[in-house]
Amino acid sequence: MSNINFNKNSVMAIGVLLVMGIFPLFVDSAWLAIGTTFLVFAVVAFSQDIILGRAGVFHMGHAMFFGLGAYTTAVLNVHFGWPILATWAPAVLVPLVVALLLAGPIIHLRGDYLLVATIGFNIIFIQVLQNNIFGITGGPNGIFGIDVVRVFGVELFEQTHMYYMAFILLGITLFIMKNLDQSKFGRAMFYINKDDVAAQSMGISIRYYKLYAFALGAGIAGAAGSMFAVQYSAVSPEAFDVISSIMFFTIVLVGGSASLPGVLLGTFVMFVLPEVFREFETARYLVFGLAMILTMILRPRGIWPVKFGNIPAFLKKDVK
Amino acid sequence: MSEYLLEVKNVSKFFYGLKAIDALSMKVKKGQIYGIIGPNGAGKTTLFNCITGIYTPEEGQILWMGKEIKGTAPHKIAELGILRTFQTIRLFSEMSVAENIMSGRHIKSKQKWYNGIIHTPAYYKDERENWEKVGELMEFFKLSQYATTPAGDLSYGVQRKIEMARALAAEPELLILDEPAAGLNENETLELAHTIKEIQKMGVTIMMIEHDMEMVMSLTEYITVINFGAKISEGVPAFVQDDPIVIEAYIGIDDEDES
Ligand SMILES: Nc1ncnc2c1ncn2[C@@H]1O[C@H](COP(=O)(O)OP(=O)(O)OP(=O)(O)O)[C@@H](O)[C@H]1O
Ligand SMILES: [Mg+2]
Repeated sequence: MSNINFNKNSVMAIGVLLVMGIFPLFVDSAWLAIGTTFLVFAVVAFSQDIILGRAGVFHMGHAMFFGLGAYTTAVLNVHFGWPILATWAPAVLVPLVVALLLAGPIIHLRGDYLLVATIGFNIIFIQVLQNNIFGITGGPNGIFGIDVVRVFGVELFEQTHMYYMAFILLGITLFIMKNLDQSKFGRAMFYINKDDVAAQSMGISIRYYKLYAFALGAGIAGAAGSMFAVQYSAVSPEAFDVISSIMFFTIVLVGGSASLPGVLLGTFVMFVLPEVFREFETARYLVFGLAMILTMILRPRGIWPVKFGNIPAFLKKDVK
Repeated sequence: MSEYLLEVKNVSKFFYGLKAIDALSMKVKKGQIYGIIGPNGAGKTTLFNCITGIYTPEEGQILWMGKEIKGTAPHKIAELGILRTFQTIRLFSEMSVAENIMSGRHIKSKQKWYNGIIHTPAYYKDERENWEKVGELMEFFKLSQYATTPAGDLSYGVQRKIEMARALAAEPELLILDEPAAGLNENETLELAHTIKEIQKMGVTIMMIEHDMEMVMSLTEYITVINFGAKISEGVPAFVQDDPIVIEAYIGIDDEDES
């Protein structure tokens, strides 16, 4: 729509994207890998935010969808010889369909009950991976030797390639988030989140929009999983366990539910800052824990809370 | 098709043995302003909750244009054209006034499932039309200046207007108002009465619960009086007003709203 005005926030957003865009030119390979993982985790956090921050569903099993995407790419590539490019669509669709099947029977549950149920799903998922149930997940060691992306005979194997692929994925994700927020679907999620009785009375089906959020969130997490698998050319269960789910859940709350800058900032605080303190080993997770506690006490709506009132300019003419 | 828009037939609703509504019947004609009155705890709000699908009554029938709608989910009831406001205001308080009213456009919006991901020319047209409708309603209710203000930051009287604007945005056939004048001052009540008349002129049928007797008597065309969940009287305002049974039920309860 034409209501793009170059206010402070837009300038800042462009600035942040620029910094992220030129970041690989100035860092060594270790930091480049951290940067790539940051981008991938940011995508997962945004997808968690669709379900948690927008639809208001207390879902604490999101690493499962992230993992499903990663394992879909890994299995199809390593066991079935599919090129990575061909695994992208299944890596989105498998978690999406699984999300609909699993969320369907529990979506009506109250927040706290649903939270426990989603943790349960995540635990079972890890058990399935570790026990190598279908003989294709590689058990506790996971799957190695995942190929690189090849387009028109060019191999995208360098860390810089990985970084920019993740960067593009984040761009696509942000594009979708913006579109979601400015559609009847994103708004319906907010209405349900803020007052479900009022939302229903306005004709909004709670079940439909919560499932929509789950499907979309799981699909995007799956895409991030595929990227993650390619970046490390390996997948193993522990990256997708409940602790990871807790991290994504926390990133959203610490950063600011439904806030794009908030969730990006949350990912930075919760993932990059601990990496900065890596040398201090034990102090590392101190940052993690302290950030969680302090934000909830001092800024319960997140470091950078969401701002509503994003309406077309022609409706603001009488606003003083 | 039935001559009545809404028919409530022998409806009963229990809460753990308590009979909140007792074999209640009433018929609402298209275009009417229909009043429901009765002392506190009489079951008025419960009746509205049964009509709008929040509760399913254990007994009786609720007919909408002759078709049974008892047990239909609340969002489906709204899709049929039955929209409501709440006795205790239920707005999306952190969201702006315009966004609150936009929720009423939900059932009118023609956006497709993929428009939550990618926008199309049809999306832009639909989005624009719906926001324009929101603009019209903000003008009608004199809310334009608050377009970007979080609804929860505004006064009680203004919040009541936002709730009505939100329901009207859905272009309802039947508008159900649960004590719209509660908490309003004298001027606001007069303005509200005028607004309700205007809404009726748009062709909307109105059902309202109200404790403000002056307003009920001057606005409504037909009234049902409920006490302890059962109908104790019905008729045109002039009749109900002088009905000894009604006066009896209200003894010791003054006309003014005491909530
Ligand atoms: N969800 C519920 N669970 C149990 N009891 C309820 C419930 N809702 C209403 N009741 C009871 O049903 C009776 C009717 O309540 P209702 O709210 O319909 O009255 P009302 O006529 O709207 O009163 P008021 O004028 O005070 O708004 C009351 O005794 C109330 O306590
Ligand atoms: Mg009531």
